[in-house]
Amino acid sequence: MELFSEYYKKDHVLSRIDARVKLLVALVLLSLVLSYKGFALPVLVTLLCLFLCIRMRIPLRVFVMRFSEPLFIAVVVVLLKLFFSGEDALFSTNIMGLKVVAHTDGLMEGLLIGGRIIGAVSVVAMLGFATPFTEFMAGLSWFRVPKGFIEILMFAYRYIFVLFEDAQVIYQSQKNRLGYSNVRRGLSSFGTLAGSLTIRAFDHSQSTTVAMVQRGYDGGMPMLRHKSFKSSEIFASALFLIVMGVIWRI
Amino acid sequence: MENQDIKTKIQKYRFFLFLLTVYCLLFTVQDAHAMHISEGILPFNWAAFWFLVALPFVAFGLYRLRKLSAVDLSFKPLVGLMAAVVFVISCMPIPVPTAGTCSHPCGTGISGILLGPLISILITAVALFIQALFLAHGGLSTWGADIVSMGVAGSFAGFLTFRALRRVKINMAIAGFMAGLFADWATYLTTSVELASGIRGDSPFLPLFWKIVIAFIPTQLPLGIIEGAMTAGMVVLLYKKRPDLLVKMRVLKPEEVAI
Repeated sequence: MELFSEYYKKDHVLSRIDARVKLLVALVLLSLVLSYKGFALPVLVTLLCLFLCIRMRIPLRVFVMRFSEPLFIAVVVVLLKLFFSGEDALFSTNIMGLKVVAHTDGLMEGLLIGGRIIGAVSVVAMLGFATPFTEFMAGLSWFRVPKGFIEILMFAYRYIFVLFEDAQVIYQSQKNRLGYSNVRRGLSSFGTLAGSLTIRAFDHSQSTTVAMVQRGYDGGMPMLRHKSFKSSEIFASALFLIVMGVIWRI
Repeated sequence: MENQDIKTKIQKYRFFLFLLTVYCLLFTVQDAHAMHISEGILPFNWAAFWFLVALPFVAFGLYRLRKLSAVDLSFKPLVGLMAAVVFVISCMPIPVPTAGTCSHPCGTGISGILLGPLISILITAVALFIQALFLAHGGLSTWGADIVSMGVAGSFAGFLTFRALRRVKINMAIAGFMAGLFADWATYLTTSVELASGIRGDSPFLPLFWKIVIAFIPTQLPLGIIEGAMTAGMVVLLYKKRPDLLVKMRVLKPEEVAI
């Protein structure tokens, strides 16, 4: 699981900004991108995020992996809209007696959605790269996200890595014993793997509770303390959002 | 004039474009974790609508969590760990022979069976949140829609199927299989509704909905069976190795284990 917060760069200016401010800016930017009816804003946001990722020295491989899935979905949506939506014919072709028509308005609609996907993914990816998980959780608690939800998030995040390692060990040993040599055995092995993970999850939860109770756990987990807001960060963020808002209006 | 040039170029490659579309629609949609609706696909109003639909379910889940964790201190860590299990399972690529691609199971059927649908919705919400933020699977703006399809539809379908079949004394493996199968198919049908309503623009809803359903079939039909087999395997393993856990989760009555 190398794709999590480990690419967070402490020394970058974006990383030093308060997580609450980043979260708020990201959410407003996301709303602007989603409600925009053109190409300019998503393209601008994507380029800006790309520039910041390069400045943060995010490895190209990680960047490509993060964007491959949304990019692929964007292409599918564009093609879907091109051939199955709209009225203004761009071209038509005969495939085995079946007339297929592509539409100009469908293409434009598809490109709008595709742009929106890439713009929105850029915003969230940037937020993920620039904010460590614990700060993010503290930010959520400041926004009054229910504490129970944040605690479950923290437990899950902590144990994802443990369970991934467990899953890899089980998978390797199953593979060495030809557990995936045909579909039937593969299905059975996969069921056993998933079942073993569930059993381990139950066992881990018991041992974690015992360990936490011994350290004073009473059902609630403490969060990071919030520092006071810096006026320069708020001013810069507000200015940035105003500029984006103006572009949105144009 | 320039517009004409573009049109000519597009016409030149029209056959390739069509083939690419057919390939994407029939064989690779699921390859891209398409159970999760990607960030940005839904316009603002639809994203907000699905958030509103998901909200009461998550709120009920949190209420139930608070009630149960007040009695049992280990309940919160358990829910967190089950969220990690669902996360890991839904990140595992499994081959789909009919489509020649890889896809992933949801894992919400088993969490629905073990912890009940409301807690399972909460678990799905947590797993989806982490995936959206750190892996770009799903998205923050489509979080509500993904919770409704994977969490609400998947968990309730899995839970209700399992309980109904167990009530009529169907054995554990078959009940687990059917629960996994219906959880997966319910998720994919709900995802189709969400996608069709979100991207249809001015086109009518139903034709696009059926196109999306058909596009999902080559992978989702066998994947449902694979998810069913996986859920059955999990339930049977728990029954054989740790029946005490099934009793604790009220999946089995103590007397059923004794037999």
